[in-house]
Amino acid sequence: MAVKRLHLMVCAGTGCVSNKSMEVKAALETEIEKHGLAAEVDVIPTGCNGFCGVGPILLVQPDGIFYQQLRPRDIPHLVEEHLLKGRPVQRHLYTPPGEKGTIPLMSDIPFFHAQVLIALRNRGMIDPEKIEDYIAREGYQAAAKALTTMSPQEVLDVVKASGLRGRGGGGFPTGIKWESTKRAPSENGTRWVICNADEGDPGAFMDRSIIEGDPHSVLEGMIIGAYAIGATRGFIYVRQEYPLALKRFMIALNQARESGLLGEDILGTGFSFDIEVHRGAGAFVCGESTALMASLEGNVGEPRAKYIHTVERGLWNMPSCLNNVETWANVPPIILHGAEWFTQLGTGDVSENPWGGSKGTKVFSLAGKINNTGLVEVPMGITLREIVFDIGGGIANGKRLKSVQTGGPSGGCLPEELLDLEVDFDTLTAAGSMMGSGGMLVMDEDDCMVDFARFYIDFLMAESCGKCTPCREGLRNMNMILQRICDGKGQEGDIELLEEISACMIDAALCALGTSAPNPVLSTIKYFREEYEEHIREGKCRAGVCKALITYKVDADKCSGCTLCARACPVNAITGETKKLHVIDPNVCDRCGACYDACTFDAIIRV
Amino acid sequence: MVTFEIDGQQVQVEEGEPIIKGAEKLGIKIPTLCHCEWLEPYGACRVCTVEVVMGKRHRMVTACNYPAREGLRVLTQSERAVAARRMVLEMQLARCSTVPIIQELAREHGIEKSRFGEGTETCIMCGLCVRICSELVGAHALCFGQRGTERFISTPFQREGEEGPCIACGACVDVCPTGHIWMEDLSARKGQPQDFYLGPKSAIAIPTQQAVPKAPRIDPDACIYLQTRGCSICQQVCEPEAVDLSQHDEEFEIEVGQILTTTGFQLFDPRKMSQYGYGRLDNVLTSLEFEMMLNSTGPTGGKVLMKNGQVPRAIGILHCIGSRDENHHAYCSRVCCMYAMKFAHLVKDRSDAEVYQFYIDMEAYGKGYHEFYSRILAEDVNVIRGKAAEVTEQMWGDEAEGVLHIRCEDTLVGKFRDIPVDMVVLCCAIEPQSDLGNMAHILGLTRSPDGFLLERHPKLDPIGTNTDGIYIAGTCQGPKDIPDTVAQAQAAAARILALIAKGKVLIDPIKASIDAEHCSGCRMCNSLCPYQAITFDEEEEVSVVNDTLCKGCGTCVAACPSGAIRGAGFTDNQILAELEGILI
Repeated sequence: MAVKRLHLMVCAGTGCVSNKSMEVKAALETEIEKHGLAAEVDVIPTGCNGFCGVGPILLVQPDGIFYQQLRPRDIPHLVEEHLLKGRPVQRHLYTPPGEKGTIPLMSDIPFFHAQVLIALRNRGMIDPEKIEDYIAREGYQAAAKALTTMSPQEVLDVVKASGLRGRGGGGFPTGIKWESTKRAPSENGTRWVICNADEGDPGAFMDRSIIEGDPHSVLEGMIIGAYAIGATRGFIYVRQEYPLALKRFMIALNQARESGLLGEDILGTGFSFDIEVHRGAGAFVCGESTALMASLEGNVGEPRAKYIHTVERGLWNMPSCLNNVETWANVPPIILHGAEWFTQLGTGDVSENPWGGSKGTKVFSLAGKINNTGLVEVPMGITLREIVFDIGGGIANGKRLKSVQTGGPSGGCLPEELLDLEVDFDTLTAAGSMMGSGGMLVMDEDDCMVDFARFYIDFLMAESCGKCTPCREGLRNMNMILQRICDGKGQEGDIELLEEISACMIDAALCALGTSAPNPVLSTIKYFREEYEEHIREGKCRAGVCKALITYKVDADKCSGCTLCARACPVNAITGETKKLHVIDPNVCDRCGACYDACTFDAIIRV
Repeated sequence: MVTFEIDGQQVQVEEGEPIIKGAEKLGIKIPTLCHCEWLEPYGACRVCTVEVVMGKRHRMVTACNYPAREGLRVLTQSERAVAARRMVLEMQLARCSTVPIIQELAREHGIEKSRFGEGTETCIMCGLCVRICSELVGAHALCFGQRGTERFISTPFQREGEEGPCIACGACVDVCPTGHIWMEDLSARKGQPQDFYLGPKSAIAIPTQQAVPKAPRIDPDACIYLQTRGCSICQQVCEPEAVDLSQHDEEFEIEVGQILTTTGFQLFDPRKMSQYGYGRLDNVLTSLEFEMMLNSTGPTGGKVLMKNGQVPRAIGILHCIGSRDENHHAYCSRVCCMYAMKFAHLVKDRSDAEVYQFYIDMEAYGKGYHEFYSRILAEDVNVIRGKAAEVTEQMWGDEAEGVLHIRCEDTLVGKFRDIPVDMVVLCCAIEPQSDLGNMAHILGLTRSPDGFLLERHPKLDPIGTNTDGIYIAGTCQGPKDIPDTVAQAQAAAARILALIAKGKVLIDPIKASIDAEHCSGCRMCNSLCPYQAITFDEEEEVSVVNDTLCKGCGTCVAACPSGAIRGAGFTDNQILAELEGILI
């Protein structure tokens, strides 16, 4: 293989692709061809870099120069300047918010600087559609090590000792799960390993990025898991809405089969294992283990009681080990570098009790009112403040942080006072939220917590399977109550009623979706009760979100009569002549806020 | 066995059995809405939520599916359990405020009115119907549509009626606790073959109280297992394991020397005469159905009742339905007049109903029969000479209640009459079994123009047939009453026994014989033989005459295209010699 002078790593994650990174790549190739650089420079599409907010991203290796927000028309200049003349183009380099100087090197950018990569170890470094790239980065070494030099029990012991806990949200110790599956009686010895790639939380894209950027790491983890457990078949349940992930999985599976890493007699060890991909039809509840298995079986995706665990009777009543994408991706490095290496990162002590701490790293997707939207992998035990302010670059538009929501729709909202909380499975649960699959939504003072709770309850109401009464009816009634609070029709006792329904759901709902569904309500009541009380008693929404509780007025002193607001108003509620005071008709106004955003004189006031 | 504790009381259940089993044993009531003994636990309604304590760990579980464990402590009335249950019921009440079972359970838990409104939904989403249809019936005709709060019970792809996989067994209707599912057409219900009050109420039943053998019988048209391979509950519950659903029809071959044919009759189907409204109007019965009703071990215990359970005020008995009728059967069925008189007598005996007989001629010619006719006349039974023309449904005077009207011509008075009754009994004709032709073909018997089997001689041999060793008795030969049938059957039995006692048969020496050398194997003679005496030998590929059956009629001799059959004593040479003798 010819050694190239430069490798241009173009991000081909979904975020960058939708921002035309493939056109950037095509432009690069054209320009390189034009300048006769094809022999020296290679253009490689990579998986998601995580810094989706500034995409499309181009990383020039081996120097590590980080370009951002590229457009195809920027490319001729960039190729000429950087590739021919060796001068990085300043205007495409990253500039931290509120600063002036650029940061040319990726490793110096704070967003990347504080991250520790295990699950995302190959991000931006390899072409996800080439098994050779993965192998070049220590890929399949762990599988080879496990299959050729370790007994299944030894593999199991390493995973147990590493303290790895389920990254899908539950935080169940992976080693214990594997061991239970291995020990569970099976009449004909059938056992399954399953990969849960049904990522459904709004705003979460950890699993997607891992699959799209490094599908082989998941396959390798599953091979190792199957070897330890004694499974001969694996399933990947990936949601239909992830076409790129699906495509990359299929490519990776074929490559692994061709290379003898899947199928009969893997690596000549006599161990046989293969993986099938199943597409989910887009139900949030199918991320729940029993519903996922029901769906895999071809039945309606509804959960069942887990009094007999799926590790004993799961898919087709056989012992089944279900782990999340990120969990599987964590396995190869653990086998390769040992449990001790893994336990150096994280909190607590897992040597005696696997629930004693949270080890390793966790991938979070940062979203909401934050400067650096994207995907980050951080060690367990990092504080929320570090994630939000150091990595995330703080709150956008200089607003004040109000709350951080973790764990997706079933998680909870944590207030600013808890920013110094060390993030791990147990602290988040204790604070009334949860780790979940790693969604992290940052809210500022313009977000109404009651409306926020209503939004999530709405989402859950649509996604609940409707099988059990507490979840189905509880969500319906909570939605009804929250809606009336947002509409300014809240009654005394509504907060208590919400708490009462929540208690019933926690105690009596069938599956984790139902028992965790009250979290958005309970955590907002716990930390932002005064906002609820304001809505109910004073008819006031301090964030100005609940339309029924706000009115827009024109400040007579500031209005210049520019007519901008009148033109922005979609319902023609604003009247007024040029250079004269404008008036909003409250009966016509539908409180969309378009005038508020349009006015350049701050003359529109929200009351 | 595992021993555990519910509300302080010890109980034992099999390993793996749910808590609720133990509660049943102790007589502790844990309310449920979605639990059914015959179905896999579902755990959807959550009304049976209880608190369990294992060591220090407290947990909320559902009693219907949480497997009892050794040393488990179950608290059905703990504060948490009651609170959860109350809230579940209150929310159910908000959804289904008009459903009695929910109202009742809510009231038991101290909830009169829900704080979340008063919905009028009637489905509580217990899923019993869906599950019984899939798990037990195996028809998969019901499913859930949508999800979450939008969830509803539906048929697959919302197709209904003939298109859908519903077998109309009614299992879903039976399990539905709220009446959300009902059957539009009860007569279509296969699980209960006759919703009419006659006949068994389920697919497996002892057909009548006097049935011999007195064992339940499965109706293959109604049995869910035989339709879909679902259910099989009867097999599961039968402790002596007497129900074997894997059984199927078997054929036996038995070699016998003589056959007595007693295949009986079938009743004329009165639907063919739509003017009498059978099958269309309620309370129009056939004579056999009325006979069943009058039986003291019958479905009504011998009471004469209408479909609505009331005692009829008047009953019309219509003679000659299908008999003595050029359009159907020209013959007289012989027994109808007498049983119609018996009906009249029994109705008079058991109720105050008026009885009307509509007859053409009152045939009462047996021993003691005419005396019986006089007796019913004395019992004030109205006899009207004239065949009923039609039965219609009309209003009876001012009373707004549907009754039946019988129109007829009273030929003795010479007037048209219109008689209102509550119930009509049709004395249907006795007719040959519909498959008697097949039977006759198999046995080589002939039939008279009316379709009944033909005896060898109406006066000299009313028992025998053209085929030796085959006899007939009873109504397969023609309409007759019980005394006649018994007499004929006894005679036939005596004939058979006589032959058995003798041990051998004398046969006529005049026989046909086939020359195997010349037989071409065309089998023409096989079907021509009126005595079924010629069979085909598959191995030798020639036809063979059964000497015992051959009557020496000579049909085959004349028909054989190869000239291979000879009649003993009637060879060509012999006949020619005879002719020569005559002519010379």
